[in-house]
Amino acid sequence: MSIIFNNVRIPMSGTFFPGQKVLVEKGKIASVGSMIRKNVEKVIECEQKYLIPGLIDAHSHLGLFESAVPVDDINEPYADITPHLRPLDGVKMRDRAMEDARRAGISTCMVCPGSERPISGICSILKTNGNSADVGLIVEQAGVLMSFGEQVKVTARKSERSYVTRMGISALIRETLMKAQDYYAAKQSKKMVKDREIDMEALIPLIKGEVAMRACAHRAEDIMAAIRIADEFKLKLVIEYGTEAHLLASILAEKKIPVVLGPTLIPRFRYELNEKTFESAKILMDAGVEVAFTCDYPGLPIETLRVAAAMAIQYGLEEKRALAAITEVPATILGVDARLGKIKKGMDGDLALFSGHPLDIRSHLEALVVDGDLFVFSKDLKIETGS
Amino acid sequence: MKTILEKGIIFHQGKFQELDKLVIEKGKIVELVLASAKAKKGKPLPAPKKKADTSANVINCSDRYILPGFIDAHTHISLEEEGVGWYDADFNESFGLATPQVRAFDALKMRDKAFNDALHGGVTTAMITPGSANPIGGQCCIVKMVGNVAEAAVVKESSGMKFAFGENPKRVYGEQKKFPSTRMGTAAVIREWLMKAQDYLKRKKTKEFKEREIKLEAMLPLIEGKIQARAHAHMADDIITAYRIAQEFNLDMVFDHCTEGHLIAKELGKWKARAVVGPTFSSRSKPELRNKTFETVEILMDEGCVVALTTDHPVMPIEGLSVAAALCVRHGLDEERAIKAITENPAIILGLDKRLGKLEVGYDADVVVWDGHPLDVRSKTEAVFVDGNRVI
Repeated sequence: MSIIFNNVRIPMSGTFFPGQKVLVEKGKIASVGSMIRKNVEKVIECEQKYLIPGLIDAHSHLGLFESAVPVDDINEPYADITPHLRPLDGVKMRDRAMEDARRAGISTCMVCPGSERPISGICSILKTNGNSADVGLIVEQAGVLMSFGEQVKVTARKSERSYVTRMGISALIRETLMKAQDYYAAKQSKKMVKDREIDMEALIPLIKGEVAMRACAHRAEDIMAAIRIADEFKLKLVIEYGTEAHLLASILAEKKIPVVLGPTLIPRFRYELNEKTFESAKILMDAGVEVAFTCDYPGLPIETLRVAAAMAIQYGLEEKRALAAITEVPATILGVDARLGKIKKGMDGDLALFSGHPLDIRSHLEALVVDGDLFVFSKDLKIETGS
Repeated sequence: MKTILEKGIIFHQGKFQELDKLVIEKGKIVELVLASAKAKKGKPLPAPKKKADTSANVINCSDRYILPGFIDAHTHISLEEEGVGWYDADFNESFGLATPQVRAFDALKMRDKAFNDALHGGVTTAMITPGSANPIGGQCCIVKMVGNVAEAAVVKESSGMKFAFGENPKRVYGEQKKFPSTRMGTAAVIREWLMKAQDYLKRKKTKEFKEREIKLEAMLPLIEGKIQARAHAHMADDIITAYRIAQEFNLDMVFDHCTEGHLIAKELGKWKARAVVGPTFSSRSKPELRNKTFETVEILMDEGCVVALTTDHPVMPIEGLSVAAALCVRHGLDEERAIKAITENPAIILGLDKRLGKLEVGYDADVVVWDGHPLDVRSKTEAVFVDGNRVI
């Protein structure tokens, strides 16, 4: 399908530029400017509304959590180390939350297993438009999820089957990475006559440095544990949650470790959330850390991604950087910045049209385009079918 | 910037002496002049030199006592953060009988209030060890009481391997109806892993070796003599069992608690044992503590053992380290040796006697200024320096 957005505001060098046109063809952004003339299937008269790149949540359990069902497919509580679990095998594309995500302007999510076990599986990047997970899939192996701190401890204590201290969690993760290094070295030497091991196979891209260790950690100490282990095994690292990351801003900046920050709009229901503040994003960004917001769905409803950015503005963050933290920056952290996160020729046709400023929570989503698929949410939107 | 402490009474070379000045620069003690040495020279310092020191921070310590920062060679500070709750404690890795691969360093919480308490009690360095539930409990670390992250406080990330003898492992596993529920069982678990580690070391040197095992990797520095064996043992017979195993496997062993050490003082003296005694200022809460006495320290010292005192924080609060020393004095120990038991001796036991535990040129500038005699419980710390930085 080809679509043109006429007379729209788009984000440009820190402000919204009016009177622009954006053309989407064959699922990609074909042209951006004020002088586009082209016969298309759908012409959308935007009357100076706001068009932004489709939003990205870099950490969610979308589709793994099943709406209105008491059991979920997020955590595998009876095993500690399961890097071979693949989100694709548990995602339900027709879950209501998928529609909620689209209605919130979210076109892409990183979906991962839960953070209750030390190593819980791989992270996959999905779009929200597919009828099956395979259609929406962008990158399947985009990282390995590891978890530190209270949540892992509490789960282990409940099950009485696993290591229950921070010392034990670090040791389990180290043990697994040590095995994976040796497994990979044996495989490299071509003397490998052994049978493959499915968990070790899943860790090879991590050991090779192709994908990141995505470390769920709230407390400063738990973030440091992740940094320590990533350094020891020379792994790429992304911090998830990062509730106390602002206390380590200079260390994270120096080591160039990004933070997927959130969910912040929650009460301090565990000790490790005690230092939670909406100022985190600004402190981290000022220090030079890359920050993306997450609502950790179902930690918070997926619709609250914009709210996270707006709250950070309330606590001093500039609008431009808040918007980048739900578009460009998560694309960079996920390693898909060549195709997502900006309104630019050649990028994926993922666009969200808002009735007003996108970070004004009162504005509503009028239309969403994902890979050129058009979803319309406003009856008043003027759409003409072209010749 | 330089810091100069002038006048006062310094604990130096094992006794209290009049100080002329102590100069701290770049985290180290760079100059120490005693009043007696200055009197011998008979000449006051020339005026221009004094001018050169205008950039320095000069603190007059007249009538004050200047001591090295105290060292507690056996604590669990911050593994269970104070005032948080059991559910967030990281004390014993109770899943796994032998857990040599776990490291106390990975569970430190630098905002624990105990670190600040320690500084107020004049304690600047502590060894932090996993608990004594497991026959092999994990790796100990040594840190100073400052820093926002463990990496900023670290002296040694892995300084020793914790072993536990006697009632604790027996109780923990016995109550779960698991092996080991006897002292024989505990010793057998320890021997089994030491034996495995020795064989692993041999196997690792062969070409066929491919896959590392984290538990045995963790045991290697111990087998190779690079780190110490720290034996939790209260009862005399448990201390002897620990020594027996140390001899069999050629381990560099330190005895922790050593509650009945005085009953086998001759033996410990013969072994030139290093003992970290305490927490004596606690009750006799279990049978293996029945012979607890404050006289143990003096008896062991008289036999030639190197003895340090411990609070075993949080069993006894870390601020009580000087109180433990004072109680030993009340029971007959001389003041000088009581102070050595919380300064020089723990430094020797931790293998840090080249940089900690004394006020001498070249040593870390971990210096505490007390407003009265440090073993008078009414005295308080007026200034505390760690690596030359004033923290109180």
